[in-house]
Amino acid sequence: MGLDYQLVLWNKYKKTYDKIIALSMLLYVMVFAGVTFAFNSETSIETLVIRAFGSLAIIMLHLILIIGPLSRLNRRFLPILYNRRHLGVSMFIAAFIHGGFSMFQFHALGDVNPIYSIFTSNMDYGSLTNFPFQVLGFLALLILFVMASTSHDFFLGNLSAKVWKRLHMMVYVAYALIIAHVFLGAFQQETSFFTIGVLAIGFIIVTSLHLITAFKERKIDRTKVSEKDGWLEVCNISEIEEDRAKIFTVDNERVAIFKYDGKLSAIHNVCKHQGGPLGEGKIIDGCITCPWHGYQYLPSNGQSPPPFTEKVATYELKLDGEMVFINPKAFEEGTEVNPCKI
Amino acid sequence: MEIAINVFLGILGVYFLVGLLVGIIFLLKAKKFDPLMADTKKKVRFLLFPGVIATWPFLIGKLFKSKTV
Repeated sequence: MGLDYQLVLWNKYKKTYDKIIALSMLLYVMVFAGVTFAFNSETSIETLVIRAFGSLAIIMLHLILIIGPLSRLNRRFLPILYNRRHLGVSMFIAAFIHGGFSMFQFHALGDVNPIYSIFTSNMDYGSLTNFPFQVLGFLALLILFVMASTSHDFFLGNLSAKVWKRLHMMVYVAYALIIAHVFLGAFQQETSFFTIGVLAIGFIIVTSLHLITAFKERKIDRTKVSEKDGWLEVCNISEIEEDRAKIFTVDNERVAIFKYDGKLSAIHNVCKHQGGPLGEGKIIDGCITCPWHGYQYLPSNGQSPPPFTEKVATYELKLDGEMVFINPKAFEEGTEVNPCKI
Repeated sequence: MEIAINVFLGILGVYFLVGLLVGIIFLLKAKKFDPLMADTKKKVRFLLFPGVIATWPFLIGKLFKSKTV
């Protein structure tokens, strides 16, 4: 939603979040180093860096993966979601330091290409106990590189929101690879129940939150609406909060019905930016504001206010007493529809 | 297995080499990829450079399209 591209879209809040991220990362590495040297003073600097940044990247990846479902379950987490992009890039930097040092320490000092060496130094691909786990880490790092390097609105606009989203959904493939990398790798050498336990708890939290969110979403899709002369009766007007929306599934599409200034308007629920749920946002300065990244649309026509050009489909509403009815046939994106007066 | 590894790494190498080439073209002629780049500061191109290398198959079409206009 801009007329040119900025290096980084910083504002006062994002700068604060970034400072918190940087300081937390620094603090973690320092504490990790302190604890490591306290219990094992013979640890080399390279090993310390590899372990500190590897574990840091995994913790950050877990945080990144739970922000989405948490913010769907509780609006208080939305500000963190707003800053997830920077957390993702920071996580890649931590993973890159881990991968870079690992590659240097284990593969760069011989006469074989280091990347080739990762794949061929251990050819025991059929073994579970001696699997070449570094290959999994390398592939995960490759995915994280693609994601981090395309974490900019230039790519969102030029790859299309659909392709961009698909690329970034690869984070789950990276997560699976990383889990396998850690289980098959680190535990081959060091069977620490604490590390296994922490990773298992992390996996359970990530999976549970995703499942809970999926059940919640499914409930929206399964809500029965009754039809009357081609109109669908969706809810009582009192069920919609002022300046907020209620989401319904109409004709297999999610629609958000907003109540504001004594009026009702309905638009397609999916933001054009990154597919954010517009119906979970609110009306700010007369515009429907996406809860994910603040993209805005006018409720009456689904258009971003000029000079921006994003548009979503609109729907016709009517009131029968206290009951809200929607015409399931969507208008073209950006079509002006008179708001339904309460 | 070694053959599969060689093929995979070969493809990966070619992919990133072509990506590097497209990335260099992007550094020099970014507005051919996206007209908004005309009003964008030059240093942004360097930030986007790795992403262009990674996703060049999706972007290269824009380069040819802009030539025909």
